[in-house]
Amino acid sequence: MSGSAATSGPIRRSPLDSWYRSAGRGTRIVADMQLPEAWLSPQPKTAALGLADFSWRRRLGCKGPTAEAWLAAQGFRIPADANSATLDERGVLVARLATSEFLVEAVDGGGAAVAEARHGLAAALRPLTVYPVERQDFVVEVSGSPTNALLRQICNVDFEPLLGHAATTSALLLTSMAGVGVVAWPRAGAAGPAVTLWSDPSLAEYFWTTLLEVAADLKGGVAIALPGATGESQ
Amino acid sequence: MRRLPPVAGELIDRARTLTFTFEGQRVTAYAGDTITSALMASGARVLGRSFKYHRPRGVLSAANHDANAIVQVRRAGRSVPNVRADVVAVEDGWQVTAVNTRGGLARDRLRVLNRLAPFLPVGFYYKAFHSKRLFPRWERMFRALTGLGEVDLAAPRVLTPKRYDFCDVLVVGAGPSGLSAALAAAERGAAVLLVDENPAPGGSGIYSRGEQDDSATATLALIADAQRQRRIRLLPGTYAAGYYADHWVSVVAAECLVKVRARSVVIAQGACEQPAVFRGNDLPGVMLASAAQRLIYRYAVAPARRVAVLTANAEGYAAAQDALRHGIEVAAVLDLRPEPGSTSQRLKDALTRRGIPVEFNVRPRAALAAGRTGLAALDYESGAGGATRRLDIDGLWMSVGFAPANALLLQAGGQVRYEKAVEQFVPDALPAGVYACGKVNGHYAFADRVADGRAAGARAAERLGLGAGPAAGSPARGGDPPSHPFPVFQHPKGKEFVDFDEDLQLRDLANACQEGFDGSELMKRYSTLGMGPSQGKHSNMNGLRVLAKLRGEGIEALRPTTARPMFHPVPLSHLAGRGFTPERRTPLDGEHAARGAVWMPAGNWRRPEYYAVEGKTRAAAIADEVRAVRSGVGIIDVGTLGKVEVHGPRAAEFLERVYAGRFANLKLGMTRYGLMLDEAGIVIDDGVIGRLGPETFYFTTTTGNSATLFREFGRLATMWGLPVGLVNLTGHYAAVNVAGPASRRVLGELTGLALGPEAFPYLGLREAEVAGVACRILRVGFVGELGYEIHMPAEYAQHVWRALLAAGASRGIRPFGVEAQRMLRLEKGHIIIGQDTDGVTNALEIGMPWAIRMDKPFFIGQRSLRILQAQSRPQTLVGFTLPPDLPNRPKECHLVLDGSRIAGRITSVGVSPTLGRTIGLALVEPRLAASGTLRIRVDGGALLSATIEAPPFYDASGARQEPGEVE
Repeated sequence: MSGSAATSGPIRRSPLDSWYRSAGRGTRIVADMQLPEAWLSPQPKTAALGLADFSWRRRLGCKGPTAEAWLAAQGFRIPADANSATLDERGVLVARLATSEFLVEAVDGGGAAVAEARHGLAAALRPLTVYPVERQDFVVEVSGSPTNALLRQICNVDFEPLLGHAATTSALLLTSMAGVGVVAWPRAGAAGPAVTLWSDPSLAEYFWTTLLEVAADLKGGVAIALPGATGESQ
Repeated sequence: MRRLPPVAGELIDRARTLTFTFEGQRVTAYAGDTITSALMASGARVLGRSFKYHRPRGVLSAANHDANAIVQVRRAGRSVPNVRADVVAVEDGWQVTAVNTRGGLARDRLRVLNRLAPFLPVGFYYKAFHSKRLFPRWERMFRALTGLGEVDLAAPRVLTPKRYDFCDVLVVGAGPSGLSAALAAAERGAAVLLVDENPAPGGSGIYSRGEQDDSATATLALIADAQRQRRIRLLPGTYAAGYYADHWVSVVAAECLVKVRARSVVIAQGACEQPAVFRGNDLPGVMLASAAQRLIYRYAVAPARRVAVLTANAEGYAAAQDALRHGIEVAAVLDLRPEPGSTSQRLKDALTRRGIPVEFNVRPRAALAAGRTGLAALDYESGAGGATRRLDIDGLWMSVGFAPANALLLQAGGQVRYEKAVEQFVPDALPAGVYACGKVNGHYAFADRVADGRAAGARAAERLGLGAGPAAGSPARGGDPPSHPFPVFQHPKGKEFVDFDEDLQLRDLANACQEGFDGSELMKRYSTLGMGPSQGKHSNMNGLRVLAKLRGEGIEALRPTTARPMFHPVPLSHLAGRGFTPERRTPLDGEHAARGAVWMPAGNWRRPEYYAVEGKTRAAAIADEVRAVRSGVGIIDVGTLGKVEVHGPRAAEFLERVYAGRFANLKLGMTRYGLMLDEAGIVIDDGVIGRLGPETFYFTTTTGNSATLFREFGRLATMWGLPVGLVNLTGHYAAVNVAGPASRRVLGELTGLALGPEAFPYLGLREAEVAGVACRILRVGFVGELGYEIHMPAEYAQHVWRALLAAGASRGIRPFGVEAQRMLRLEKGHIIIGQDTDGVTNALEIGMPWAIRMDKPFFIGQRSLRILQAQSRPQTLVGFTLPPDLPNRPKECHLVLDGSRIAGRITSVGVSPTLGRTIGLALVEPRLAASGTLRIRVDGGALLSATIEAPPFYDASGARQEPGEVE
């Protein structure tokens, strides 16, 4: 955790920045991203469902004929199959979105490794057969026992069999939820089923408020985690 | 009260009483009562008025297979129309009224229509409505007379969720066969979803008992087994209403619509009992035997005191036994058949031993009413003789046949054939993964239904590779037909109703047939047979039997019509559900909001139309934004543009094929305008293509087309076999355009990039830091001024935007919205694809030959353009001008006239703040383009004479967008 560490470069803004202006107060910097310091409305201490914005995490994307080899050379563990993901010991997730397209994210550590690879990807010396893919995703995690109940209101894919998978090697789905194209990483989380969803940042506010609206209908209540309060930030 | 002593299997809770009103009268009920059962228990007989003739109507099916019992319910400040009294549990305090009455149910003034029936024959509205002169009168009259419930316009919007569900096997119907199917599938390891529309499972296994409770006991055991089976989810009060592709079934639960995706589906919905057709068969007191049985066994209500059973099957004899067991006098059993079949013989003997008269070869003539209370007697003939006899009864229970509930099966694509052995349609060919069992399959004996259900459930699971060993086969159909082949008896005075929803009499169908509507689909549409709320559940089968007779052929020559989804009534709130309408926002959305943006939709984005200024009108605010750009510097968020990268050694070839222009020779660090056509040469998009590297291009598309085109790019690359890497950056990159004479200075304060005209010429593309953020900068003439389009990762958009505003503050930098952008572009004559073009505008008609390279080997639309080049053009885009202050301002889509003939339309128009006159573009016939003037018809019919003027209207030399010196 970097807490509210100062940053020398430009400040990143979350895709939910506009929503944070009305729901949060105070500011702090996490991984060079400005996030609220606290919520205006207190969140329930116990809630069956949790929602969290993880857009602040470091990530990179790449594709191309030699993208797999290039990523492996950077020290990342590559999933063997398309539509699957691996989580390594450093906490770096490598998601194979297609035969030769990848999303790499520091989900529980490994921020430095991801930042270094991202730098290498932007450099002029990257192989011509590795194409950088800018990933400014809105990343939201849904967790808790009603996760599947929520997903069943917004998506026509049956996640139930996938929400028991271990996080280290699990399936990845490219599908649509509430009209939004998402990459979904369902798994058995520490506190029950969990799914992380990557979506286009321009749809962040719509998708987020839709999730909140649906979650409010579910029994057990919903708590919104303060972004950056948990997990690796650098 | 007609409440019976406690009955095993009843759904009411006698410990909880509640009260409600019906037509203003207080009614006491038990919790669990439906509106209908509560009213019947209170002694009510008339529950509603018929749709057309306003005849009094009572219980027919007690299962919502008819529209007799549809009511308006006022509760908790809301008035809910068209509540299905047969199946909706009543609650304390409800105020219930019949629908479709004037002056109340008892004194409905429109009952006079019953006497006018001879003047309202089938299809009379088709014959009456053809007069254009009289149509308004007819329309007003019928709108006033017809309709069911009344919509409460003050009702609050109720957001109902939509839900998806999944299972291996969906079993529709939890009667004996459905329960058995579910158990068999689950025993093989399938995850089963079992739904039933009734508040409790069991179906007719519970309420059709006869002498003994054997079938009910066995059914209760099946229910208990299903409830214990952990792989079965049993959902009563939930019905399947529609079947779609790939085993998608819309399932309607109390609170929402559930879209169920099943791997296999078992249709076990049973059968809808059918009425006999004879004069007065709609009188309150005349009901289906199954309705009486439901009332007795589910709600402990005696629906009559003295009944006759009109029958043609064993079920009718069982119903007579049910009546006797509950103290209801049975005046006679009237069998339409010449003799009891083998299945009914034992039951008939048992009744005879109890002294119940049983007559055969019965021909009902008419049910007779006493006052306004309903049935009092039945006139009928029997045996070989012709003498009419009269039975004084207050209840007539009809058990003459069934129609299989196969609507879902037909929607799934199943084929049926008429099976003479059971006198009903049975499945002939079923789609893969769809199975039928029980009464749908023509099995009526309890043991056969169980065996057939088990076979269907096992097969449904077996198809999924579940379970060991092959599934057992279905039992053979046997016994007497449960349905009479023609339970229809004409009366000289009519009123033999085939369709109770639509008040269709026998003669209506005969007339329709005589008028040429002699097919099942034609007759349905002409007569409205089966088009009422119950979708033909109680009428289609008899309608087909009548049609076959009228055509002089067997019913096996006809096919039943397919009820479209939803075949069962579904509340509109369920259908609407929670709406998902994604709206995209740029990362600068909050910045715009803070500056008073007035929003407008652009594709599925929201964009600032303009920025409101206190004390200024919309037009004045927009004009100020235009002036700021022309005289100083403005900034606009163009992040909604589609933004795409294409990589690979054949990237240039890909662009050459996609766009009409040439891009293989585009120099590094330069951009070029691109025009995209479809195969017909129609203009579909435009954008700017820039070269970032030898094998890397970055290009833009229009806002509205970005998502569609990216999918199309992928399709084209695959189709052409071009190994290019396409990257969609639309949402991930933000973009702003800084435009105006001062733009270079403003940008110069934030970047170390050389911005001079030689270092960064017009149409150049550079990668450089702006305010510390790595950006792509395109020098494009977006609005006809010196300008820079700055593209950056979305997360830094706010940082760069604020930096630019700060850098430009001393020069009066001003954000401008879409309306100002349109005017700025119109002044330059820059067309907007989709506004200045339409779905038939080809590339030759918009005056941009410089964007098309016909000498290329190939591009999409090239072949069509070659053909079009040899033809005359139907339209061409021209510019025009008018004075600024017009009392009737021209608008987009106003027509251009040639004499009295339409010869074109305006595509863009507005008053230019820069030029002080009205300017516009119009698509017109080429002949008019040379005439010098256009006659434009504006609102109110006035004609304006506009001067044709070739665009651009402003800075024709282009000097302002390519200045040599700064400011």
